Amino acid sequence: MGTILIVAEIQGGKIREASFELASIAQKLAAAGGHQVKSLVAGKGIAALAEEFAKKGGGDVYAADQEALGSYCVATASRAIRAAVDASGAELILLSNTPSGWDVAPRIAAALDAAFVSDCFKVDLEGGKLVCHRRVFNGKLDARVSVNSPRTVVTVQPGATAPFAGTTSGKVSPLAVELPAGARARFVGVKVAESKGVDLSKANIIVSGGRGVGAPEKFPEVIQPLADALGGAMGASRPVVDAGWLPHHYQVGSSGQVVQPKLYIAAGISGAIQHLVGMKTSNFIIAINKDPDAPIFEVANLGVVGDLFEIVPALTKAVLAAKG
Amino acid sequence: MKILVCLKQVPHQDARLDVRSDGSWIQEENIKFEINSYDTYALEEALRVKDATQAEVVVASIGPERVTQALRTALGMGADRAIHVKDPAVEGSDPLGIAKILAAIAKAENPDLIFTGFMSDDGNFASVPPMLAELVGMPSATAAVQVERKDGTLSVSREIEGGAQEVVELTAPCLIAVQTGINQVRYASLKGIMAAKKKPLDVKTVADLGLAGQVGAGAAKIKVEKIAPPPKGSGAEMLTGSTDQIVSGIVGKIKELGLL
Ligand SMILES: Cc1cc2nc3c(=O)[nH]c(=O)nc-3n(C[C@H](O)[C@H](O)[C@H](O)COP(=O)(O)OP(=O)(O)OC[C@H]3O[C@@H](n4cnc5c(N)ncnc54)[C@H](O)[C@@H]3O)c2cc1C
Ligand SMILES: Nc1ncnc2c1ncn2[C@@H]1O[C@H](COP(=O)(O)O)[C@@H](O)[C@H]1O
Repeated sequence: MGTILIVAEIQGGKIREASFELASIAQKLAAAGGHQVKSLVAGKGIAALAEEFAKKGGGDVYAADQEALGSYCVATASRAIRAAVDASGAELILLSNTPSGWDVAPRIAAALDAAFVSDCFKVDLEGGKLVCHRRVFNGKLDARVSVNSPRTVVTVQPGATAPFAGTTSGKVSPLAVELPAGARARFVGVKVAESKGVDLSKANIIVSGGRGVGAPEKFPEVIQPLADALGGAMGASRPVVDAGWLPHHYQVGSSGQVVQPKLYIAAGISGAIQHLVGMKTSNFIIAINKDPDAPIFEVANLGVVGDLFEIVPALTKAVLAAKG
Repeated sequence: MKILVCLKQVPHQDARLDVRSDGSWIQEENIKFEINSYDTYALEEALRVKDATQAEVVVASIGPERVTQALRTALGMGADRAIHVKDPAVEGSDPLGIAKILAAIAKAENPDLIFTGFMSDDGNFASVPPMLAELVGMPSATAAVQVERKDGTLSVSREIEGGAQEVVELTAPCLIAVQTGINQVRYASLKGIMAAKKKPLDVKTVADLGLAGQVGAGAAKIKVEKIAPPPKGSGAEMLTGSTDQIVSGIVGKIKELGLL
């Protein structure tokens, strides 16, 4: 049977949790389909990490240990992955849907003229055929995707499954990656997040408004008063910030702040995964949305289907009244 | 300088999403469409280069008749020329098929820069742009939140996790897939819309691009078989009744949590 190649990812000197999740998917598929699992660990000074991954689900590991692979760059990463694909003859290549994964994976698929399925939360074999599950319409619908190709590249949503918990006894072998000079993409550096105006992570209560709030003036008029009444802070979803209605430090989510307040109130927010990862571990979540099918209700503890412009001001009044 | 912008027309963000009876996709009849949100930022980014350099901005879109409207809007905003690939043979293409069509256009147009959106709001693939770049041999960067141009070098800040940015330098010709919020998008002025009526809009078929038989459902390597609302879990406890009842229910809960 064929080979499944995991492209592991290193972050902050460690193998990312998401890579162990890929191992869990690869090992499950391999058990069902009789595949071999192999992995690529690329970076600088990664010998120990390669050994670790070989034992924790990665199987036989190609270790590409080179100075130039120390930081992610599309030009070098695609060279390394192509080298591992050539060496392994992999028929399924798994990456995580992280900023590096989504940047390089489609290029690998196009170069190999392979099938590509992005951001899957579930990958199965059905009758020997690969079937992937992923969200469409920003999380409002699920899609079942079939694959018809001898070779497939798949990216998997981080957190989609538990990390591999067993042990494997893979061997590590070095992989030399040719990196010609004069690449037309070059890594320059990382700019860390600027100091935030409001540190939402310290707030006990957060009242967030989404695109459903509809207009910039509605934030001070409708959302902020409830936050004030509760002695909490105001937050927002990304489209609110993109439109310039509020500055970036209000944004909750994967590209904003990750918060865990005692109470999170989401008004006019649909509940896309990138928002959910920023707030779903809040102690208690209340969602107000006019769409009964909004995915936010799946993570909320208490839900109201209704117009936020009716509910939120009434709630603000009632909270002020309750405080006396 | 020439800039190619790839635009997709997608169901309006507030459109009702009803699944077709065969489950194959959403019901697209009688709903509103708009330019993919990410692509409006891509077009704006291109128009800003045009404002600074007089570059020619060419917009390209693949899709049915209704796409004309998206292209006219883009011309109204300031693009110079539009290419519409309109052909039933495109139907059922996967992102690689779309990328192959756009690659054929890019090879013919030979742009110095390609701007695309990072992801489509309907399929959420985020696949086409890097594929297109690979097919035409250009370097690429995704989730761009800042682009600085110095002669033939583009310094692109990519959004990574936790609010950080990764800076990558690309040598033109190159492709940049733009994240939302990178700029504030202009509206088409009335004057712009009037002028747009006279701007060229070329309609092409798959065969015109030399791709007959290479795209469409038959050539697709992936297929969305079925879409459905996500399975409901235990979900939230739902409050119903009058606004007063709902509000007192919420206040009761906040008190119970000891937060009031
Ligand atoms: C790489 C990447 C990173 C991202 N990072 C983030 C992030 O950090 N944070 C983030 O939030 N998003 C992020 N996103 C965007 C995310 O995918 C969604 O597009 C976004 O979260 C949607 O915001 P929303 O829920 O406010 O808008 P929508 O999805 O448009 O939802 C608006 C909601 O308002 C409801 N509504 C409308 N009017 C009313 C009313 N009167 N009363 C009640 N309800 C009403 C509607 O029913 C709808 O559910 C990211 C996306 C990508 C690709
Ligand atoms: N049919 C299309 N016509 C033109 N451009 C497209 C089309 N589909 C996708 N794109 C471009 O590719 C980007 C990402 O789309 P996707 O890979 O489908 O999520 C979009 O934001 C567009 O810039």
